[in-house]
Amino acid sequence: MPSAAHVDDIDDKDLIQISNKPHALLPFLQLQSATSLSRLYQSPSSCLSIFRLLDALERQLVMNLLWLESAIAQTTLGVWVFQEKKKLYDDALDMLSKLHILHIHSAKLSLNGTFKTSLRHAITGGGTTGSFGVPAEKDEKRPPMDVEGLDAYALERWETILHFMVSSGTGQNPTRPSQGVLYLLQRSGLMSNQHGSLPQITSAGFQFLLHPPHAQLWDLLLQYLHMAEERQMDLVEVLTFFFMLSTMELGREYLTENLSQTQKAMLDDLRDYGLIWQRRPTSRRFSPTRLATTLNSSSPSLPTGASTGAGAASGSQQQQGFIVLETNYRVYAYTDNPLQTAVLNLFVSLKYRFPNLVVGSITRDSVRRALNNGISADQIISYLITHAHPQMRKFNPLLPVTVQDQIRLWELEKDRLKSQEGYLYTSFASQGDYELVRDYAKQLDVVVWENDAKRCFFGTLEGHANIKSFVERRGVGGDY
Amino acid sequence: MDSDSDISISDYDEQNLSRSKAKGKGKATDKDKRKKEKAKRKPKDVQAYTWEANFTRSWETVQEDERGSLQGAVDDWMVRGRRKRLLAPQNAIRRTIIRHMVLLIDLSSSMMDRDMRPTRFAVTLQYAREFIIEWFDQNPLGQMAVVGMRAGVGERISDMSGNPQDVLKSISDRHKLEPTGEPSLQNSIEMARNSMNHLPTHSSREILIIFGSLTTCDPGNIHETLDECVKNKIRISIVALAAEMKICRELCDKTGGQFGVAMNEGHFKDLLFEIVPPPAQRGIIPRPATGGTTATAAATTANAAADLMMMGFPTRLPDASPPSLCQRFLCPRCLAKVCDVPTDCDICGLMIVSSPHLARSYHHLFPVKPYTAVASFDAVPDPSATSSCHACSRPFPTTAAPPANVGEGMSAIGRYRCPDCNTDFCSDCDVFVHDVIHCCPGCSK
Amino acid sequence: MAGSHLSVVIDLSPSQWHLSSLHQPYPLDISAFISQLLAFLNAHIAFKHENTLAVFGAFPGKSTLLYSSADPPAETPSNDANYFPPLKLVDSTMMHRIVQNLETLTQNNGDDKAPSALVGALTKALCYINRLTLEFNAATTNATEGLEPLALPDSRILILSVSPDQTASYIPVMNSIFSAQKLKVTIDACQIYGPDTVFLQQAAHLTGGSYIYLERRDALLQYLTMAFLPPPSVRQTISVPTQDKIDFRAACFCHKNIIDVGFVCSVCLSIFCQPVPVCSTCRQVLLTKFPFKTLQRLNAARSSLPSSPSQPRNSSAPSSPQKTNGRTPSRTEAPLGPGGLPHSGSISLNNSTTNGAISSR
Repeated sequence: MPSAAHVDDIDDKDLIQISNKPHALLPFLQLQSATSLSRLYQSPSSCLSIFRLLDALERQLVMNLLWLESAIAQTTLGVWVFQEKKKLYDDALDMLSKLHILHIHSAKLSLNGTFKTSLRHAITGGGTTGSFGVPAEKDEKRPPMDVEGLDAYALERWETILHFMVSSGTGQNPTRPSQGVLYLLQRSGLMSNQHGSLPQITSAGFQFLLHPPHAQLWDLLLQYLHMAEERQMDLVEVLTFFFMLSTMELGREYLTENLSQTQKAMLDDLRDYGLIWQRRPTSRRFSPTRLATTLNSSSPSLPTGASTGAGAASGSQQQQGFIVLETNYRVYAYTDNPLQTAVLNLFVSLKYRFPNLVVGSITRDSVRRALNNGISADQIISYLITHAHPQMRKFNPLLPVTVQDQIRLWELEKDRLKSQEGYLYTSFASQGDYELVRDYAKQLDVVVWENDAKRCFFGTLEGHANIKSFVERRGVGGDY
Repeated sequence: MDSDSDISISDYDEQNLSRSKAKGKGKATDKDKRKKEKAKRKPKDVQAYTWEANFTRSWETVQEDERGSLQGAVDDWMVRGRRKRLLAPQNAIRRTIIRHMVLLIDLSSSMMDRDMRPTRFAVTLQYAREFIIEWFDQNPLGQMAVVGMRAGVGERISDMSGNPQDVLKSISDRHKLEPTGEPSLQNSIEMARNSMNHLPTHSSREILIIFGSLTTCDPGNIHETLDECVKNKIRISIVALAAEMKICRELCDKTGGQFGVAMNEGHFKDLLFEIVPPPAQRGIIPRPATGGTTATAAATTANAAADLMMMGFPTRLPDASPPSLCQRFLCPRCLAKVCDVPTDCDICGLMIVSSPHLARSYHHLFPVKPYTAVASFDAVPDPSATSSCHACSRPFPTTAAPPANVGEGMSAIGRYRCPDCNTDFCSDCDVFVHDVIHCCPGCSK
Repeated sequence: MAGSHLSVVIDLSPSQWHLSSLHQPYPLDISAFISQLLAFLNAHIAFKHENTLAVFGAFPGKSTLLYSSADPPAETPSNDANYFPPLKLVDSTMMHRIVQNLETLTQNNGDDKAPSALVGALTKALCYINRLTLEFNAATTNATEGLEPLALPDSRILILSVSPDQTASYIPVMNSIFSAQKLKVTIDACQIYGPDTVFLQQAAHLTGGSYIYLERRDALLQYLTMAFLPPPSVRQTISVPTQDKIDFRAACFCHKNIIDVGFVCSVCLSIFCQPVPVCSTCRQVLLTKFPFKTLQRLNAARSSLPSSPSQPRNSSAPSSPQKTNGRTPSRTEAPLGPGGLPHSGSISLNNSTTNGAISSR
């Protein structure tokens, strides 16, 4: 079946929305029932972490209500908001009430009682929940792993996962992550196993690779939560444990004793992801790594540098970005990290390699390859912006406009064709027959394309049954 | 009996050498910028004028220490600022706080020379902008006008104004200022002089000339103009971009201004920024001025320039008042509405200021005493009690820097001490306190 | 996006706090204040993972750093499963240092009555932010590329004061305000006890911050949270109280009267409410004497003014609309008519006749 040609215009709105999007976890929490959320809010550390994941305005509204004992009229709080920003304010209230943090009763606002008590405990200390984890006493014989060690460990684990993804199907044989991780990757659709033994990266996987590290981590954890539902694990306990980890102190050991069975089972998985470190799998102590303790920070600047980012955990240069892009489409990447090189290789055709520098250029072919893998032009551009070298920050706009435009044009080029299923009606015996059927089809508004000279037109799938019966009724000659 | 010509010109001559090497007034926040400029300017100590130099590799003149760090070179740069402060006189200085200045910019064809990159004209405009911003920042009660010299006449570019935005806007369009023809010093100075004739005597009258040409095309005798300027107490300063001309030197010397020839871009900026701080009026005992200042000026006493000024502190119209165009203040004497302060009331001529404007100038009058560098740990009585900077709590280094990296006036242990309260500060805070805050965190004054 | 920095300057003058604890209604003593303050500081830390905090205490005659997140103390607090570790650190460090400082204060008693070193604490807060700015710029390697140094985003200073204005600290306070403007730092101020302070009002106004005079001292924490917790970026959506009536008139140096029209020494910018023959501020060092002619001229001019500025006037009168109305009658009495103008014209600086008078020495 031929398809009709269409030029689609790209909607820029998607781009704008990315910046204001709520944290990835919040929509998931909204789907949970009020009772399980209420159980979750019993833990001060969970409340603190959820509070931090909220938007700045939402956080401020929560704080405004936190110390009030009674409900407050919606208008009282509303007068503090500038009129032209009213929409933001309404959105914030909406979000909070969907999370069951805020109760709105007859135009009066009050915080969820459980949430209020827990957050107050988190801020002033107190309570008996022990939700911030029970720290282990110092063991003189076996001192805890130091911060550098933890960073290196987390980085190694995390990069193993990403590197495995990026080099799948290239013929290399990188270290395989553990079975649990592989299962999670396949389960989440980032990799697929259809071609036999070795899993292949999917287009979702390619997009995943270009995300900032913080988002990647949460993506995986969200997938873990979905999986936990299927494995009949208690979601609240899983979430509580995540949040407990996120409020723990880096470089300190915690006891496993007070954890529930579900949470103890999670230790194994989290060890694989690099979120926690244990001396032995059976050890009764564990240390959270930086990946875990920065879970509730809203910024992507993980000092571990970031998984897609850095070779050295401490290299501030790496955190700042390493890519120089010139107007002649050349890319200079100051890195010796194989993972970064591999990610760049997704959309850059690499030319030379030096000990600390990779040189390549962005070509039509290399970008088309990336587009075919499911990566979008905006993702490429935002990756280049996030990892731009400090030298590039002098320029405004940061990336050369020519290159940005060209990458977008290459994407449009690919979207020139839009396919639509349907039927082609052709070989009409006479012009009269053709016009009769075509006019009928036009009345039904199912004509996509017509050509009078060739006496053929293209109708959509939905219209076919009607047209077919019309043709049969009329007995006009025609092929379809 | 009022004159401001009793400034001690001799001091400028004495300090010119050291000053021209040291950087001009800078902010602490500029510190990092200096690091970069360091590389650019260092050559001027070893080489002379731009056109005499070959292609220089400025990066090679930066000295790395044995660990490959540039810190030593940067510290050295900061130390120059310190030394300059120490050289500054300790006794009380009288400064002209209320200044009026006419900025004369050469717009003759010689400004298209390319000995400064990209052209003298472009560099001049750029530095003029920076100069205007800094000048108004340091002299909030000042007013400035801009006059261009082109095609043999003086051309008014902006009127006397106390609003930096007005002045900046007037020189923002470079196409209107395209250089052409010959400059005329006499015409332009006459124009500037006439616009300042009416000014009160307690304020300064200054002309700053940025001069790129080596000729001047005058209708009459320029020496008569010079005499008029001396009579009117107008101080002329010139920054020449080409070479020293006798008449330029004479204009400056006789009127008590400063004269300098820019050797390169960095030096050009230094020379300009030396004009930014309010000129000192020093000396209770009249000094015989060098450079041939007239005897009458030398004989005037120091307090002659002092005067009482009547000033109005305006009432700010409440935001709820009936709307008007931009008029937000009321003149306290005639109740006329005025747009912006500081200004002179359009109706009754009263000088209208707000108290923060006055306060902005106080630091010129009450500077913080320079800190002394603490030479070694012997001078620190209790190192454990004062282990970190008194102001910003940054820990002090615990080991002394190797003597090779320690320049004169620098502290090997990174401590700088206030002579009044005997507390120690780090070098960043030293710069910040003296250049920005103007108030010692230890003794709160 | 990076976190926001908050530097808090707290006034810890024991005598003023003693007065505050006795003041009716709504007494507030120092321990209640500190516990509410800690809740506020914890809320700031909890607000965002990247938020930073520094606290400076102004004690009588001296000022010290009480807490800073850049230099954490060596001793870590004991383990507690019910306490978020960073908050625990703030609380214990601050309490420890406040008690320590108050004890040394009682040991060398006597200077208990000295005014709080609010200026010292404020300048330290500025130096601290300057340090953060330098470190921030060094980290982003921005400055080395020849760019203008970036201001630290979203940084602000909160001053919690219980003392009245110190006249002597006018110049340092103003200098601090201008440095804050240069650093693009917002200054918020809250007067918890005692009279309104004009200095802090000006500080808040000139740096775009918010000033609150705390009347309901029992609601301190709620005030702090609603007005001072939002970082500058959130304040674009949520408004915080600002004041409309700001007094930008000056007080004369001789009688501390608030004046409309004053006489200013051209040398040291001292302000006087009436023409004086000698500048009292700078006469010692600079022997400033004013010309006799000027005195005569100004005295003549002064008599034409609407009302004698030497009369003390209600300092709260300025820009509040109602009170301005109340003052209007005295304005209309002023000789604004044709009879008045020539007189004031005689001191007009642009006037050619006056000009002649000055230059004929």
